[in-house]
Amino acid sequence: MDVALSRTGAWVLRALFALVVVFLYAPIVILLVFSFNNSSVPAFPLSGFTLQWYREFLGNTDLRGALETSAIVAALSSAAAVVLGILAAIALVRREFKAKGPVSALLLSPLVIPYVVFGISLLLLFHTVGIPRSILTVVIGHVVISLPYTILVLMPRLQQIDVSLEEAAYDLGASRFRTFRSVTFPLLLPAVVSAYLIAFTTSFDEYAVASFVVGSRVTFPIYLYSAVRFPYNLPQVIAVAVVVITVSLLVVVGAEIGRRIAERRLQSED
Amino acid sequence: MDPPAEVPPPSHRRRPRLDLATPSLLGLPLVWLGAFFLVPIAIVTAYSFAPALAPSPHPLTLQTWHDFLHSGVYLRLFWKSAQMSLTVSAIIVVLAYPLAYYLALSGTKRKYVLLLLLIAPFLTSYLLRVLAWKVILGNNGVLNSFLFWSGLRSPDNPISQLLYSRFAVMLVLGYIWLPFVALPIFVSLESLDRRLLEAATDLGASRLQAFRRVTLPLSLPGVMAAFLFVFIPTLGEFVTPSLVGGASGYMYGNQIVDLFETGFPDWETGSVLAIFLLAVVAVLTVVFSRFLQPRQVAQD
Repeated sequence: MDVALSRTGAWVLRALFALVVVFLYAPIVILLVFSFNNSSVPAFPLSGFTLQWYREFLGNTDLRGALETSAIVAALSSAAAVVLGILAAIALVRREFKAKGPVSALLLSPLVIPYVVFGISLLLLFHTVGIPRSILTVVIGHVVISLPYTILVLMPRLQQIDVSLEEAAYDLGASRFRTFRSVTFPLLLPAVVSAYLIAFTTSFDEYAVASFVVGSRVTFPIYLYSAVRFPYNLPQVIAVAVVVITVSLLVVVGAEIGRRIAERRLQSED
Repeated sequence: MDPPAEVPPPSHRRRPRLDLATPSLLGLPLVWLGAFFLVPIAIVTAYSFAPALAPSPHPLTLQTWHDFLHSGVYLRLFWKSAQMSLTVSAIIVVLAYPLAYYLALSGTKRKYVLLLLLIAPFLTSYLLRVLAWKVILGNNGVLNSFLFWSGLRSPDNPISQLLYSRFAVMLVLGYIWLPFVALPIFVSLESLDRRLLEAATDLGASRLQAFRRVTLPLSLPGVMAAFLFVFIPTLGEFVTPSLVGGASGYMYGNQIVDLFETGFPDWETGSVLAIFLLAVVAVLTVVFSRFLQPRQVAQD
């Protein structure tokens, strides 16, 4: 007899699981269906197949500009967040120092701050200091919110890496920096990649903080928000939605497969 | 007495200057957070006490705080938002628990694939998932038009109140956070030692008793973590209510935004509201800190 679940229980839970998965994916499937629907209003009955909305969005320069801006912001902010995250993770995992508790609490605290509060805080900072709002101010904000995620991804991996490898390099005359470059970093690389991906997607999708500090050059979520709020070309936005959701699902699955492979390789090296 | 002869330092190899000592490691991250996280919060705090930081005759004042605490309007709105967040968090934790239980304890071989299936929607665009519901719930949206088309409901009589309501806000928030709450619960159930359940069964406990006396208590930290991971961010939510909430779904976060962005901004009051929210979140985080250990999230 199974101690956790009766056969009926397992059947009921499997059915519930299936229902929830349907609930989670149905809205996405509905978007997919209506992105090919030949009508400017997303409503039943379906009126025929078209690729018009995809063609229109490819020709929409505002939208492409917004996607490009978000790609730049995400690339910059995640690169900075990963560098800061590596530094912080090494300090937290490899070094002993006083006030480690408060320091790690501070480093992770952007995880719990309400984004509306952080957004207006940055707004008031830039206003007080007199920095005009631009994509740079968005990058600054996104580095802050991505940093804890990168630390959380990097720390466990760093803990897995055997310290004696670093000590060996150090004993053989490598400087600490050289040790990092030639030993630690290559072993840390899979985590660096996932940290970068997480920071990138966080930034690419971030609306709340950006809405306060964005300048005239808007990011993709800012563009989307106004398009969703005042849907005058809804089918086009739906087509974009399908593309973005599909790409991000592929990235998620790809990253997970990559992580599995890297993990297996690390285990076989041990 | 002669001072002890100084021991010559052991001859060190020359070390390059670039040394990753602790201060140089922590310097950049801490400076960044100081300048772009702590200082901004300090400025908001200052605004809440001293209107218009520019040199002015106004000394520090508690007036804005006094108005906030006594008018009741904002506190009532806060309470309404807190109730909405509490309801959403409680419902989806209860819904996610059996899912996590199934994944962790049914012995299915594909549990990580299924977990990924469950969590993947959480990792796609937030705004686009809200958009999907806006398309579905509108008076002439997918749901209503389907009902008209299939003849289940007459077009003169759509199910209104689907969109732009408190219900819509809670449905969408629940939809958005549901995949995520399963994760901490799954982690706590996954680490449960099955031998405890076997022992309980051997001692004559039924499955239900074993669940109530062993599984549930041991998974409570994960349940608490899941609850807080939803409750804390939804408490200050403003994006979803502004898109699907209308007037009745208006939340505390929307009020903060409006005090900063509408035609008649009132930054002092807005700062008071923001700091109040931050204080509530900070207290929750500190009180429940043992459930919010990052380890619980990091292991996926």
